[in-house]
Amino acid sequence: MYVYDQFDHALVRERNAEFSDQVARRLSGELSEDQFKPLRLMNGLYLQLHAYMLRIAIPYGVLSSVQMRKFAHIARTYDRDFGHFTTRQNLQFNWIKLADTPKILEELAEVEMHAMQTSGNCIRNTTTDQFSGAAKDELDDPRPWAELIRQWSTIHPEFTFLPRKFKIAITGATKDRAAIRVHDIGLHLTPKGFEVYVGGGMGRTPHLGHLIKSGVPGEKLLSYLEACLRVYNRYGRRDNIYKARIKILVSALGPDEYARQVEEEWNTLDQAAIDAPYYEIDRIRSFFPDPAFADKAFDQAALDRAKAADPAFARWVRNNTHPHKRDDHVSVTISTKPVGLPPGDASSAQMDVMADVADSFAYSELRVAHDQNIILPHVAKADLYDLYQQLDRVNLSTANAKKISDIIACPGLDYCTLANARSIPLSQEISKRFADADLTDEIGELEIKISGCINACGHHHVGHIGILGVDKQGIEFYQILLGGRADEKAALGVITGKGLPAEAVPAAIERVVRLYLQLRTSPAERFIDVVERLGRETFAEALHEPA
Amino acid sequence: MSQLNSSATPTLIAKDGTRILDGWALLNDEDVVGADGPYVLGFERALTELPGLNGKYGVRVNPGDDIRLLTPYMEKIALVEVNFPGYRDGRGYSNARILRSDLNYQGEIRAVGDVLRDQLFLMLRCGFNEFVLKDADPEGAIKAATDRFENAYQTAADARQPIWALRQKLTEA
Repeated sequence: MYVYDQFDHALVRERNAEFSDQVARRLSGELSEDQFKPLRLMNGLYLQLHAYMLRIAIPYGVLSSVQMRKFAHIARTYDRDFGHFTTRQNLQFNWIKLADTPKILEELAEVEMHAMQTSGNCIRNTTTDQFSGAAKDELDDPRPWAELIRQWSTIHPEFTFLPRKFKIAITGATKDRAAIRVHDIGLHLTPKGFEVYVGGGMGRTPHLGHLIKSGVPGEKLLSYLEACLRVYNRYGRRDNIYKARIKILVSALGPDEYARQVEEEWNTLDQAAIDAPYYEIDRIRSFFPDPAFADKAFDQAALDRAKAADPAFARWVRNNTHPHKRDDHVSVTISTKPVGLPPGDASSAQMDVMADVADSFAYSELRVAHDQNIILPHVAKADLYDLYQQLDRVNLSTANAKKISDIIACPGLDYCTLANARSIPLSQEISKRFADADLTDEIGELEIKISGCINACGHHHVGHIGILGVDKQGIEFYQILLGGRADEKAALGVITGKGLPAEAVPAAIERVVRLYLQLRTSPAERFIDVVERLGRETFAEALHEPA
Repeated sequence: MSQLNSSATPTLIAKDGTRILDGWALLNDEDVVGADGPYVLGFERALTELPGLNGKYGVRVNPGDDIRLLTPYMEKIALVEVNFPGYRDGRGYSNARILRSDLNYQGEIRAVGDVLRDQLFLMLRCGFNEFVLKDADPEGAIKAATDRFENAYQTAADARQPIWALRQKLTEA
């Protein structure tokens, strides 16, 4: 992974000095909370319902065992012994004391991490495919490009006060695991250069991004992005926070007109001065080699014997491993979603174990996936059973990757000042309802995503089943959306049937799922495939209690 | 952003930290434009009247104004006042960069309005060289902004070379 040089270190140090000074001015009373707010928001520090929340950037979701161990240490020392992995491939600590933040940032800087631009109306952490550099279907590795964008966008002087926050995602594989069509800019890395999608997003007015240009060469990527951002910065709406994202601008202008303006702006730019040259791209790329793959003798028969002797292990191998570009390796998903617990949470002890197994079995590398799980990108098949047993000891062996209990949920009313309804308790109830692992396996791939309000942090628009919490005259209600997906066939879910009270939701989902099991032509036909074949109205009736 | 010990009287200060006297006067719409005066024209008025004027003028630019409409009059403009009605409105940064990098404008670019010490580093990078500050310690604010970051990752309108260029120099050395 990328390693800081003197320049990267100096910049983080200088930024931390600036922020520590601002915290000191707040603590001394020189700054009021009102004056401090925009300053802390530039550094990922939010004031939530109960305490300060600090959001730490994990660039494109890639982290080392050393960094994971540092998170464990911070959780133990400064928080309530746990952290929360987010859909933005970042980590949040929810119980932070303001006075501790300079010390925490200092500790993070020791392991080449920071909290810059994890909030505010600026360019946020670029996200990517959690299996980058490992997946069998990858055409090119997006990580060097994500790092290039990280550096270009860090303290960008022109784009720190955009109309609204700005999120870029990159994929380099056939299957889109980075959800590029629901990002402000989605980049698809192809052998012929980048395809650039602009104007996707969720929130109250969801849009799928439009392809505005193909074949942007890598060495021109930064200047092209700069043109995209400049047009947005100048013409994005600023009169209404709910209409300020780039999706609204692109939709108002039309994608063709937006593309034309970007092209015109691009041609005015001094591209040679803005674009990092080949040698810098090569330098960054040199930090992302394959690990020194261990040539461990892999005994398929031994693995089969272990699976036969331990059905839970067999299930975990079946559900939580992903094809690797080398036949003797796999990528492993460590589920942060055991039945009945909040999605994305991990204790310091669990973080330590994840760091340890990464050192023992995964070349010391981990990823945070946008579904909030942790990935070990490179694991020799020969090590799978040892790995599984170590994870199992700390409740990290839940075999539900991409299954119905692998739910994305926002923090909801329990933590968030914006929410209208609770999300986490509902996700816990649903996962309890489908706690039977055999049933889960029979259902197969099914993504449920839950948001506690229309801001859509739980991505309900792109859940195969999306659940949106609303407030109806003081009562929490949930609307059900069907047919959403964020992959290469991205589509927005549509509200189906009437809203339901919380206690009715798990049963309604079970009825929908039972109907799907009756309707599918074979186990290979997934829930989302059946919704597409038969239409979501087929399921509308099942959402409601039979009269 | 934060206003350290906000002071009632604004100070006009240059990017090198020296206070300057403001010789320019913002014209009201009913005022007559004198010849080659130190007058600052509103944007619309500048577009209407600059074609018929000779000499050097100032122009006040609001966030929604299309700075490129001034392209034909570059040689008649010696000061552009970029107004920030609120610090969160970042359009002024693009205006300044377009002036410096695209229109090759060499005159003064002055930040006016809600200009706060925590923004100065960004403004300096985008090509601003004068600031109207309501800060009790304007010299300290300029110095802090100048000293805060030695280097930057990206090319902008200031003299800094991007970090990728500095890396290349180190390799060659």
